Amino acid sequence: MALYVLFESASGYGLFERKGSDDIAQFHESIQEAVQDMGRFSRLMELKAFVPFSSAENALENINCISEGAIHETLREFLERNLPKAKSSKKADFTVGVNDQKLGQAVHETLHVPIASDEKIRECCRAIRVHFEQLIKSLKPGMLHHAQLGLAHSYSRSKVKFNVNRSDNMVI
Amino acid sequence: GRGGMRGGAKVVVEPHRHEGVFIARGKEDALCTRNMVVGESVYGEKRVSVQEGEDKIEYRVWNPFRSKIAAAILGGVDNLHIKPGAKVLYLGAASGTTVSHVSDLVGPTGCVYAVEFSLRSGRDLINVAKKRTNVIPIIEDARHPHKYRMLVGMVDVLFADVAQPDQARIVALNAHNFLKNGGHFMISIKANCIDSTVEPTAVFAKEVKKLQQEGFKPAEQLTLEPYERDHAVVVGSFRPAKK
Repeated sequence: MALYVLFESASGYGLFERKGSDDIAQFHESIQEAVQDMGRFSRLMELKAFVPFSSAENALENINCISEGAIHETLREFLERNLPKAKSSKKADFTVGVNDQKLGQAVHETLHVPIASDEKIRECCRAIRVHFEQLIKSLKPGMLHHAQLGLAHSYSRSKVKFNVNRSDNMVI
Repeated sequence: GRGGMRGGAKVVVEPHRHEGVFIARGKEDALCTRNMVVGESVYGEKRVSVQEGEDKIEYRVWNPFRSKIAAAILGGVDNLHIKPGAKVLYLGAASGTTVSHVSDLVGPTGCVYAVEFSLRSGRDLINVAKKRTNVIPIIEDARHPHKYRMLVGMVDVLFADVAQPDQARIVALNAHNFLKNGGHFMISIKANCIDSTVEPTAVFAKEVKKLQQEGFKPAEQLTLEPYERDHAVVVGSFRPAKK
């Protein structure tokens, strides 16, 4: 059965597909080694699609959703466009790996596809995180750091600004 | 008044055994880091300027009573692992005082992902990060790394000073997501934050055991006396390659 893994980065969303054999136990064993070696990783997983965020505002909206385990419009469209069509989750012959149970549940309810979000998916995402910058051709060296930096500032600023417990706010 | 460090030509700065750390030798010796933002102090710490040929190099004094990493260095830690070019995930960044020294230490080719949950400290942390582009400020709960997984890349070193009863779990969750194979960790353990009813040494041993179960290989442990009471720092590697 096919396995797709969603990877969320500061630059945009990536969707990866497992390559080769269907032996799941063997796949998860080799993914541990793929963390060290780009060549091995490319033999196990393939980048299926990548969508960059359209603007800083779009990225902020998306991380706000991701941190709450919700699906943003950008993510829904991205998955709809790039996953095989399935009439119902019972008939689908693929699984989507999501590195967060709550988001996985939301994807399942919105798109009616089978979801996995266990430790093994976390290990897949770990391997993707190691090689991500090299895997996305449109990301020039340093661009991911800039995206992380910009998004972290806007995300953190919004946290400080929209503080429900105003008691923590300093009065000057 | 003016501090003893402003000795002008009398102060000599020497590199420390740990790359990126320096010792200013004046009337009294002081640990310091090379200031990335020349002309500015972050939290009122003293600065030392040294003329080196044509250039003026500035260092910031690093107080071991205010920073556990500085205390560990003066306590004689064997390996710091935080060095120029390193990527560091820093849990429990507080107002960013120690983060600013780590930022100096890793320099422009490294970076520090600084996680802090308290909004009050977070404001200061964001301000520190504004002047230092190698600091990525993350105001979020370190218990939930999935909330900030979009912001963090794979790191070489994980430093944690979270002082929470479940800190071993917090550290493990973050390491499984972000700390590379064979990467290193440095964890500060405050005994009475974990369990104030038993001896500190027993608390440290129990915490070390929890870490070992999660793939951490502790290499050294030292107390932070005389700078902190009942604190230990544990340093080691994560998922090291099997030999």
